[in-house]
Amino acid sequence: MAPRIQSRSVSNLLPYITSSSSITSSSIPSLCSSSQSSRYFSTTPAPQTKLRRQMFEWLSTQGSGLKHHTPGETNYLRMADGSQSNRPFPNNMTFISEPVLSEELRNEVYFRVKEQKKSPRAVSVELGIDMNRIAAVVRLVELERRQRDKGKPLALPYARAVHEMVPTTPLAQAGERQPYHEPINDLPVHPLTGAQIFYPVPESRPFTRVDAGRVFSGAPKLEKKVSDKITHPSDLVDDLVQKPGSIEWVGKGDNARQVLQPADVRIPHPQLVQLARDRAAFPEERRTVTQRHTERLERQEKAEKERAARAAERRNRNTETIDPKDSRFSFRIKDAVVSEETVGKNGRAPWAPGRRYGVPTNDRTRGTVKIPTRVNV
Amino acid sequence: MVLRIRLARFGNKHQPFYNIVVAQARSARGSKPLEVIGTYNPLPAARTDVSDATSAPRAFKDITLDKVRAKYWLGVGAQASDPVWKLLNLVGRVDATNGLDGTGWMA
Repeated sequence: MAPRIQSRSVSNLLPYITSSSSITSSSIPSLCSSSQSSRYFSTTPAPQTKLRRQMFEWLSTQGSGLKHHTPGETNYLRMADGSQSNRPFPNNMTFISEPVLSEELRNEVYFRVKEQKKSPRAVSVELGIDMNRIAAVVRLVELERRQRDKGKPLALPYARAVHEMVPTTPLAQAGERQPYHEPINDLPVHPLTGAQIFYPVPESRPFTRVDAGRVFSGAPKLEKKVSDKITHPSDLVDDLVQKPGSIEWVGKGDNARQVLQPADVRIPHPQLVQLARDRAAFPEERRTVTQRHTERLERQEKAEKERAARAAERRNRNTETIDPKDSRFSFRIKDAVVSEETVGKNGRAPWAPGRRYGVPTNDRTRGTVKIPTRVNV
Repeated sequence: MVLRIRLARFGNKHQPFYNIVVAQARSARGSKPLEVIGTYNPLPAARTDVSDATSAPRAFKDITLDKVRAKYWLGVGAQASDPVWKLLNLVGRVDATNGLDGTGWMA
């Protein structure tokens, strides 16, 4: 390694350098001199030393208050006016520390779903928690209980420490209004809506969200007598919840897709739109509106339950479970029927029981995508 | 030639999966059989549908079988290999002494 030339010696070796650069070279010793008090033998200009000094200054003054945190409160940097902020990293304004469910709130979710037998949909609306999170909470609390029953250790000190430091959504006391944890009715972005389509419509023709969905999915426009019946897109909700199979399909083969439904149908809680519309239409009849809402919810839940039961029954119809006494395992025996429909005319249809012969499995071929590439919303 | 109801291994390393096949006894394991009458997955799958914390649910193994064809092949003199006998015994009670003539199938 060649010996390094120190900055000061460079300025000495090159007396012919231009005047503008001589200014810069003259400014270097001044920088060095500022840091020379602490680093006698170094000639390197070290601008970070100033920052370092400032850092320690800050740590001993304003920062000293952040050294120990108050349990139950976040310990983030405060705003300029001294107010509490939910952005722990001042240089990353896009990072927001979102609240997590408090211990009481998650236990309440589990209690309402499992003990009171309320539907996750209803609990989601009551507590202002996303339905997916409700499902996750129930599964995780279930898991935790199982761990407890097995006598396995839980990382409780860790959980407690984390809950002390991050913002949490508390469970409301009796008589208080439960604060919403997160927006619950967000519309998922459907890939079909990403396209920019120029679709001329005569001014005289009404063009609603239902029609827009049909245009996005390339479906022919609705017949007039059908579209006249739909006064508002949320009218479709009831029918579709009862019979999700009634959604129309367009396209063939791999390209087959269901017609995109209006946002009023695709949001997680479509019944809230209907409730809001009812409230606006009949502001005096609060009780009737609430009752109608409850009835609607009950109807939907009943339909969903029936559908789930039918699906389970269909699954179990051909399946028999056997638990031999001397075995650690149970066996699920499905009835396979070898017939022309099930195995094809030559007995080699892809849907025939068993793995197929003479067909290479391409699961190890390079470039084969093994994860699902599309999600049908 | 003896007909045998036996298992034909599919799947990758450490991921066995069997077809229950009817084949000539002296043909290779991987050769094309006369008929595939079912499948057997020996890898136990944990049950995810039971949320009962008190009793640990047993893991299950999947069997599919065409009982009618199995009965037929046993009736015409096919001999089941030992592992297949065990599976057939689970599916329906088969008497090993007179199972081969087709009368031993009780289910």
